[in-house]
Amino acid sequence: MATAESDSRLIERVGRGDREAFEQLYKRFARPVLAMALRQLGDNGRAEDAAQETFAAVWRSAKSYRAERGTASAWLYAVARHAIIDRARQKRENAAEAPDEADARAGPAERAEESWLTWRVHSALELLPERERVVIELAYWSGLSQTEIASYLDVPLGTVKTRTRTGLARLAGLLEEVRA
Amino acid sequence: MSDTPDFRELLGDDLTPEEELELARVDSLLRSVPGPVTEVPGSLTHAVERIGTTRPIWTRRRVFVAVALAATVAALFFGAGRWLDQGFDARASVQMTPGTSAPDASAEIELGPRDDATGNWRMRLVVDGLPHLDGNDYYVLWLAKDGEYAGACGTFNVSGRTTVDLTASYDLSEYDAWVITRKGSDSWLLSAET
Repeated sequence: MATAESDSRLIERVGRGDREAFEQLYKRFARPVLAMALRQLGDNGRAEDAAQETFAAVWRSAKSYRAERGTASAWLYAVARHAIIDRARQKRENAAEAPDEADARAGPAERAEESWLTWRVHSALELLPERERVVIELAYWSGLSQTEIASYLDVPLGTVKTRTRTGLARLAGLLEEVRA
Repeated sequence: MSDTPDFRELLGDDLTPEEELELARVDSLLRSVPGPVTEVPGSLTHAVERIGTTRPIWTRRRVFVAVALAATVAALFFGAGRWLDQGFDARASVQMTPGTSAPDASAEIELGPRDDATGNWRMRLVVDGLPHLDGNDYYVLWLAKDGEYAGACGTFNVSGRTTVDLTASYDLSEYDAWVITRKGSDSWLLSAET
């Protein structure tokens, strides 16, 4: 998005104690962070704790971020991952529980790759205009048809189709280097 | 990978081959990942709004720390420049003050030279009077700023008087206190001004 301030710039501002930048960063990454925490911890309360810790860590350590060492998205992903792993470790220490269902389905490398891919897609969705993001999410993850989405949002079917197409084209640009 | 939504229903039949290729790639990506969360709980937003603006954990504790630190200022030994055993080149030492949770504990942090190549400070912590912790429990040495635990310098356990070598890669001038806590606890056991 040409008009959106880059993630790198936002993190650098957070590193200088800029609250407004921190709030923007939160708005942009709250859902991807929470989704990742929920997938890996499988518990709303613990996922919320991990997401909170992620943003506390971002606030504390943003000044250590160096754009030349990697992308802002990768840095945020690493911060979130550490917070989630810490929370998962506490869970294991507090109670001997069966491994997560996901553990049985894929190896660590595959899970890491899936997690990173999902993070990239979810983060890109946050950069879409709200009206485009909503129709895409409804189309792909709610099971609603285009007609049902039009009815649900109370907009003409043509509008839904236009927003979907524009949103997907925008996503194509944002996810240019990503392959499923 | 999900079969819904139908690609044609979604995008129609009037795409150019280039558009179709590009949108099909995104379509495939979206089908390959789970959906995002629908909304962020207000409780999380409220909690995050408080980060950095208030000191919910420390407001009361900061008062204790300030009082404790005032009492220990005289005990600080910056620039002592003394050599210790095993080749550890202590350039300064800081005496820590016990809090009410560990009134019989004592600790001293000896700061070694900073490695120019890595930026790491060598540190030696000599601690006494803390109980040995069982299982996966441990103590944490923190650097704190404005009443918040800002940088972890390492974890350790003890058995009587214990010496632990640690490193910290932080710019120490950016912090105002050293704090020892027990894992998972906000309550400080020992503290000292940096």
